Amino acid sequence: MPVSVVGGRRPVVPIALIVAIIAGLVLAAGVIDGALAQAGPFGTPRGQAPAAPVGGVLGWIFAKQAEFYRQFSGLIRAAKADGSVAWGLFGLSFLYGIFHAAGPGHGKAVISSYIVANNETWTRGVVLSFASALLQALIAVAVVGIAAALLNASAATMGRAVNIIEIVSYSLIILIGVRLLWVKGRAFVALLQTLHRPAAVGAAVTPRHHDHASHHDHGRHDHGHDHQHHNHEHAHHHHAHEDASAWGHAHAPEPEELAGPGGWKRGLSTIVAVGLRPCSGAILVLVFALAQGLFWTGVVSAFVMGIGTAITVAVIASIAVGARAWAQHIAEARSGYGMLAMRGIEVAASIVVIAFGALLLTGYMVSERMVGI
Amino acid sequence: MIRRLFFFGLAASAGLVMATAAAHAHPHVWVTVKSELVYAPDGTVTGVRHAWTFDDMFSTFATQGIESKKKGEFTREELAPLAEVNVGSLKEYDFFTYARANGKKVEFEDPPAGYYLDFDPKDTVLTLHFTLPLKAPVKAKELTLEVYDREFFVDFSFAEKDPVKLVGAPAQCKLSVGRPQEMSASMTQQFSQLGANQRDPSLTIGAEYANKISVKCP
Repeated sequence: MPVSVVGGRRPVVPIALIVAIIAGLVLAAGVIDGALAQAGPFGTPRGQAPAAPVGGVLGWIFAKQAEFYRQFSGLIRAAKADGSVAWGLFGLSFLYGIFHAAGPGHGKAVISSYIVANNETWTRGVVLSFASALLQALIAVAVVGIAAALLNASAATMGRAVNIIEIVSYSLIILIGVRLLWVKGRAFVALLQTLHRPAAVGAAVTPRHHDHASHHDHGRHDHGHDHQHHNHEHAHHHHAHEDASAWGHAHAPEPEELAGPGGWKRGLSTIVAVGLRPCSGAILVLVFALAQGLFWTGVVSAFVMGIGTAITVAVIASIAVGARAWAQHIAEARSGYGMLAMRGIEVAASIVVIAFGALLLTGYMVSERMVGI
Repeated sequence: MIRRLFFFGLAASAGLVMATAAAHAHPHVWVTVKSELVYAPDGTVTGVRHAWTFDDMFSTFATQGIESKKKGEFTREELAPLAEVNVGSLKEYDFFTYARANGKKVEFEDPPAGYYLDFDPKDTVLTLHFTLPLKAPVKAKELTLEVYDREFFVDFSFAEKDPVKLVGAPAQCKLSVGRPQEMSASMTQQFSQLGANQRDPSLTIGAEYANKISVKCP
């Protein structure tokens, strides 16, 4: 059976990919652990060291954020006397947003994982990033506008409001992850079953797929030493796949289906889940602007901040889309097991979404702490 | 193959960046610390008196919605409920205060009543005053005190002027103060010059940049 022959020899790269991704995640988890394990007050000497050892680039990003952030209050005060300073404030807000999105609480990890799991297009990735970041700004404005400006509520009340929003947001993230896991997990199991019954592969689930496998295999045998030609086969193979788009998608929604109204609805749930939690920085800036009698300047600043954030998140989302496309490209070059690897990656990404939600909800992962002091 | 490796690296590092970013917030609160080490007549250390001044943005946030007789000014009484919330939530973070006597960890008790908040209308900043008594007063040849937030959400630094006072300390006690540096360009540069896997033993970063008081009473 060509499928099993090909499958038996070729799954090395996709499996290596999965191993690499999982290793990356484990490594990352280790870093989180490392950071949090420093809880022991008399462990290593560190002071502010935890923020720095990540290295030059991240250290620089954190330094910049703090630097920008510290300029807010001065600029807002100055804008009170001289309205034109507001432009400087907006420029700073933009930069702060760009840098700050590297920090926690902006859901880029969730969005990226969601994109990988759900096979989103680049456009949708960018739209998700912008919509969630702007929603985040909107929520910050709403919280401060309603609680502080209208009701003159205390900081503690605002903190509690944000806390409730957090719980809803993180729970939604978990729900989205569970839903993804359900869909992707079933697709994975279904594909696994068909692969275990190779005879059924061609006939029952993916007829074209089978064609491809033998076609591909055929090409390999005939032109094993002709790399040029081999590549051509690849390209053809890839193209035809998109036409068929039947492989392994047995239970998963097709990309076209996702782009439809239903797909956008699902995207909306992600936007809400991620964008619901307002950024503490924006809230502080808004309250300060309000106290200086410049609430609307603060509102503009919050939205400009959101645009900056969106740009960073969109870049990260684009990397996620690209990485997935590349993995898919490799997977398409293999038969059955390549697809299994893709499904496996989707399942893993779904689990990552759940894990992020759970860690945030349980407070194990340090999100932006709402100021409790 | 190189391209593949590149992408492996990309995937792994993207994960790393996300995770480390998630674990490291940048500060949203700046606190200027002034502390007093209180000694008993027998030369034992009994506690630490803190006066923490918050930055103006946080001070504004914290005082939002608090009613006051005079607009833009708050009395100790008006701020009493806020002080209670502050001290209450600081418990969860061990008051960000860590001490060692003769190399051994020192335990603190919760602050007794008498803590309060002051509002400075000129700079619109709050200052929290509270005392942390030692569980057991200790006679220390060498005492170190550190104030920091390991999550780096609150950026503590000692005041430029008179950051620490010794109250009733034996005459021979000597005080030295190590200030943290802002995450400045020069600091970042130092890190980047270290290289990825290289450790410069002369640069013990954590110790170098911690808020550290050290008192030697030989």
